[in-house]
Amino acid sequence: MGFFSKFRKKSPWILHYNTGGCNGCDIEILATLAPKYDIERFGALNRGNPKQADILLVTGPVTKNCRDVLRRLYLEMPEPKVVVAMGACGHGGGVFRHLYNVENGVDNIIPVDVWIPGCAPNPRALIDGIVEAINIWEKKSKDKEYMKNHSKDMIKNLGVNDD
Amino acid sequence: MGNKIVVPFGSQHIALPEPVSFLFDTKNEIITDVRVDVGYVHRGIEKAAITKFEFTNVAYLLTRICGFCSITHAGGYHHGIEKLLDVEAPKRAEYIRLIITELDRIHSHMLANAHVAEVAGYENLFMQGVKDREIVMDLLENITGNRIQYDIYTIGGVRRDISKETAEYIKKQLNKLKDKVLKVYDFYDTDYTFGLKTKGISYISYDDAKKYNVVGPIARASGLATDARAEFDYLPYDELGFEVQTRTEGDVWARNIVRQMEVVHSIDLILRAIDNLPEGDIKVKYKGRPKGETFVRVEAPRGECFYYLKGNGTKVLERVRVRVPTYSNIPILKELFVGEKYSDAQPIVLSFDPCMSCTAR
Repeated sequence: MGFFSKFRKKSPWILHYNTGGCNGCDIEILATLAPKYDIERFGALNRGNPKQADILLVTGPVTKNCRDVLRRLYLEMPEPKVVVAMGACGHGGGVFRHLYNVENGVDNIIPVDVWIPGCAPNPRALIDGIVEAINIWEKKSKDKEYMKNHSKDMIKNLGVNDD
Repeated sequence: MGNKIVVPFGSQHIALPEPVSFLFDTKNEIITDVRVDVGYVHRGIEKAAITKFEFTNVAYLLTRICGFCSITHAGGYHHGIEKLLDVEAPKRAEYIRLIITELDRIHSHMLANAHVAEVAGYENLFMQGVKDREIVMDLLENITGNRIQYDIYTIGGVRRDISKETAEYIKKQLNKLKDKVLKVYDFYDTDYTFGLKTKGISYISYDDAKKYNVVGPIARASGLATDARAEFDYLPYDELGFEVQTRTEGDVWARNIVRQMEVVHSIDLILRAIDNLPEGDIKVKYKGRPKGETFVRVEAPRGECFYYLKGNGTKVLERVRVRVPTYSNIPILKELFVGEKYSDAQPIVLSFDPCMSCTAR
């Protein structure tokens, strides 16, 4: 295991952004940070700064006003990063699908790695999703660190040309 | 003198669960002007309610206006549509509706108070509040099957009954919760440092509250006794001895105390409702299509919520208009910032317990 991967996996920091959902998911995120479910035992903290974040936790169907903010937050996060879409309306809009001010889901704007279904998802489902996201993130981290005999396609897939 | 600096607060911020943007013009850390943009959450729900959904299904959309007040929106819609269809829900269903509504209010108020404590610098108190709140969430999951979006209302009654075992469980857990709430209440009431951070901040006088048409716990903290539960007859609050809770201080501290008093009072109401739960059906059948117009006032955790419904005898309603509490609280919120320190901006915003997904819809 590489030097950075070893320490990285102990502190996956979360950036949370609501893109116009009903804030039910956001309540569950607050509940998951609190003692009963306690996401902090995986080292995950909710920090409001995209420059220090590793996991982008997106809720909501992405309204037209939030679209550019979401894209900018994603681009400001350092590699490697993982995107988690939470809640039914993140998956293609849910009950808000095809309303006039809605972009029908998170993956129309940014690539998504983990989906957490439910309206609103239970905190247990959220923890499951975050653990899955940490695994993907660890894998991405390792892939990036051993770039010695890489192919050009692989670099393109990882999106690290400009690093 | 110092330079003028613009400090952005939102739309993405650690203290905000929802996107809303404040731009503060500050001079020597004193706020001189503020610009608010609440439109980030606009989805077009009112339009969709009259074009895409039938009147039997539109409640699923309307409850998803907001996660905190989902039961309020369900209540507003169903009480209105029952008036149009001339259906009356059975007594037992009304009591179950009341129990869920008050449980929802408890968890919303507890989270709001905890949030104010967190941004005032008391992270431990936040954790304490949210930990106690889990008792309520467990009860809601037990009764309705879901933690946030309950969808227990249906036209002419409720979907699920409360069994004897569940009733006993609710009573036991609520008595446990009451002790914990009173302990935290005591802290809010007497703690010296918490008072330094919150007392006298963003004072609203009785006259201002009346002039700006403030609603909810914010109005009640200024001595304005306005509460749709007492003024409008939609659930059997009178039978259970509901009282309006007021304070006269009108600052961040008083708003927290009013919410805490309401939590204690809601627990009492639920315990009385469980003891007096009538026997009978939980649902009646209805027929026909909604015709005519009506309005409903219900009390959300944040204040009075107004529903206007108009049907024309078809499956799809002609007009659904929602006026939510946060909308009427924003004008005074803007006035309050001027003259306060920037470091107090976050407690002021969160003491209003703003619900942006309600406001912009």
